[in-house]
Amino acid sequence: MTSPRSLPMGLWWRRLWVMTAKELLQLSRDPVLLIIIAWFFTADIYIIGSGVSMELRNATLRVIDADHSAASRELIHRFRPPHFRLQGEIFAHQEGTRLLDAGESMLVLEIPAHFERDLQAGRSVDVQLQVDTSNTVLGTLATGYASRIVAGFSEDRVRRELGLTDQQLAAVPRIEERQRVWYNPNQTDPWFMAISELMTVVTMLSLMLPAAATVREKERGTIEQLMVSPLSPFQILFPKVIAMTLAILGGTAVAVFLILIPVFQIPIKGSLGLFFAITAVYVLATSGLGLFIATLSRNLGQVSMLVIVVLLPMLLLSGSWTPPEAMPEPLRAAMVISPLYYYIELGYGILLKGAGLDVLWDSLLGLAVLGSVIFSFGVWRFRRQLG
Amino acid sequence: MKLARVRTIACKEWREILRDRLFFTTAFVVPLLIMLVLGYGLSLDVENIPFAVVDHDRSALSRDYVHRFSDSRYFDFRGYATSERALDPLLADSRIRLALIIPAQFQERLLADRPVAVQALIDGIFPFRAQTTKGYLSAINGQLNRELLSDYLARTRGLTPERAAELISPVRLQQRYLYNQAIESDWSMASGLLTLVLMVSPAFLTALGVVREKESGSIYNIYASTVSRGEFILGKLTPYVGVSAFNILIVWWVATEAFGAPFKGDPLFFFLASLIYVICTAGIGLLVSILVRTQVAAVLVTMVITFIPAMLYSGLLVPLESMGPAARSEAYLFPPVYFLQIAWGSFLKGLGIDALWFQVAVLAGYAALLWTVGLFAFSKRPRR
Repeated sequence: MTSPRSLPMGLWWRRLWVMTAKELLQLSRDPVLLIIIAWFFTADIYIIGSGVSMELRNATLRVIDADHSAASRELIHRFRPPHFRLQGEIFAHQEGTRLLDAGESMLVLEIPAHFERDLQAGRSVDVQLQVDTSNTVLGTLATGYASRIVAGFSEDRVRRELGLTDQQLAAVPRIEERQRVWYNPNQTDPWFMAISELMTVVTMLSLMLPAAATVREKERGTIEQLMVSPLSPFQILFPKVIAMTLAILGGTAVAVFLILIPVFQIPIKGSLGLFFAITAVYVLATSGLGLFIATLSRNLGQVSMLVIVVLLPMLLLSGSWTPPEAMPEPLRAAMVISPLYYYIELGYGILLKGAGLDVLWDSLLGLAVLGSVIFSFGVWRFRRQLG
Repeated sequence: MKLARVRTIACKEWREILRDRLFFTTAFVVPLLIMLVLGYGLSLDVENIPFAVVDHDRSALSRDYVHRFSDSRYFDFRGYATSERALDPLLADSRIRLALIIPAQFQERLLADRPVAVQALIDGIFPFRAQTTKGYLSAINGQLNRELLSDYLARTRGLTPERAAELISPVRLQQRYLYNQAIESDWSMASGLLTLVLMVSPAFLTALGVVREKESGSIYNIYASTVSRGEFILGKLTPYVGVSAFNILIVWWVATEAFGAPFKGDPLFFFLASLIYVICTAGIGLLVSILVRTQVAAVLVTMVITFIPAMLYSGLLVPLESMGPAARSEAYLFPPVYFLQIAWGSFLKGLGIDALWFQVAVLAGYAALLWTVGLFAFSKRPRR
């Protein structure tokens, strides 16, 4: 066997090309897999993008009103949709406990007797709110909205009682809050969810597809044929990565142009060319990790379990659901070695924030360095195993 | 159906699992990993929001105002910026998620009893966090406004400070948190994650177990043998259900020990209910394995039909109440909804069979349906 270095360059490239074509052909002949990939880049992103909303809507509320006065009714009717859904009145404390236990109501508001009388006498009154906090996120959100409603009720009463007109209010010292939300002014959940899911899908497939393509050759024994051919390990491996990268980039384009832009109306602020370029870098980096998994496994069952073992920490350390500042210190340090962390930064930065390389160069550098280390490691392990 | 044959197949399968050490290890490691990683990592508590301030006033009052934020555990002060323009790259690079712009004459206007506008810029990439940040911001400003107002009333109307304070907040909300008094999000997350773990891992194990034989061709031995399809499926799946039953104990232990979630319900009831759930999700894996031919396809399909219902249609992350009517009725078509009620009911609410029998019955019905369909869809004479 001649060493690859003495080969004419043309032949070297030709071999790479022929192998890539073979991989693409093989992929195109697996209709089930193609359908699944297409499903991930379209329906899956659509379902998650449109289905996941972390807002609190229609939280179910029951009322125990021991006062039945104009004031208590006014307060109760401030608990309105979209955040709350009033289910009606109950008359006993035990009934409230039962409904909360059964999960039929999330909140029970209790207004004491003499509510109105005490208010008119200028005494402050406590109203009680029982909250089901088995889901803490919802519980805190509901409490937050409820206390805002009660504060608003208080404030209106104070104004009425003190006889403060709008004009007089201008002569009261107060902070007027001007809140502006950048990058997603109306806090449209699908923008965040759809992009996040696209990146998750890209990650999962870049881990899975090249690893599966490699291990399948091992499992079926066709790797033996490749090993007796004049191909170097790099020439066997890299075409798989190229082919899968092309497939994933194609899928990303489908997701961006068929789902993200037309369906979710995401305004793409930055350069799409740059986004696809960094996606390519990211897919190459992650498939290096996939190749490493392929060297550890003998069959696809092992590959898929290991993919989950690698994927979950990657998703966790990406900072999409839990940003770095909310992480415990050791995990925050570990984020530096998660390629997805850089990809998320770059992805949201380009797509929603309209940032360019002048701001994001450090993330790109991190991704490139990490990617080349991971990829060389994957190829090195494979070469050693074949040699 | 001969029990001896079922036992033989189960033995063969068990030995195969044991001999594939990597697969065997991951069968136990994956559930543990999902619990630990998502339990610790998926924190939706919004704290330490990094923020910067542009202070055009540089007065004593404006510094006090900034202190109200930097002293709170919800905000993390990252320094002063010189101008609004300097904020752009900081927000774009996610170095800060909130910026406050305090106007000139902040102190002067407040002391002259006049309102003053403070601008807040919030990073809206993750809408849930932006909403929560807005809430914290309003709470701090609201508190300050109440102090300013009571102070003002005390001065202008000659009230005592206590009287003024009482006057401006006539109604107070006393909240009582039930089932998770300390709002430990770990407790909710850990006990809720059982729904995800026990959905994903049994489905994966069974789907891979059956498809592996299909892909390697060893299933022809079964086709050619005297084993009936019922015996094959029962024998084949028993070891995986066994592994998953052991996993129930592991994740239970993790939820109570590592995350400190209280278990207030009946352990035996909960274990049996979980076992039914596991049998049900193993049935999902069985169906997948009948539909697909390759292991890659099996993995991807299983991932789709287990992760999405367990994460999105269970009520674990996305509140069922917030869904539209169509999505909500869809959610009730999947088993995780019912198991999440059992898990939270058993862990946090201390409910038992008398309150949760309906959920268990639904899961049992589900399991029966899936296994029956699986049994009839599996054929020893495949067309291909």
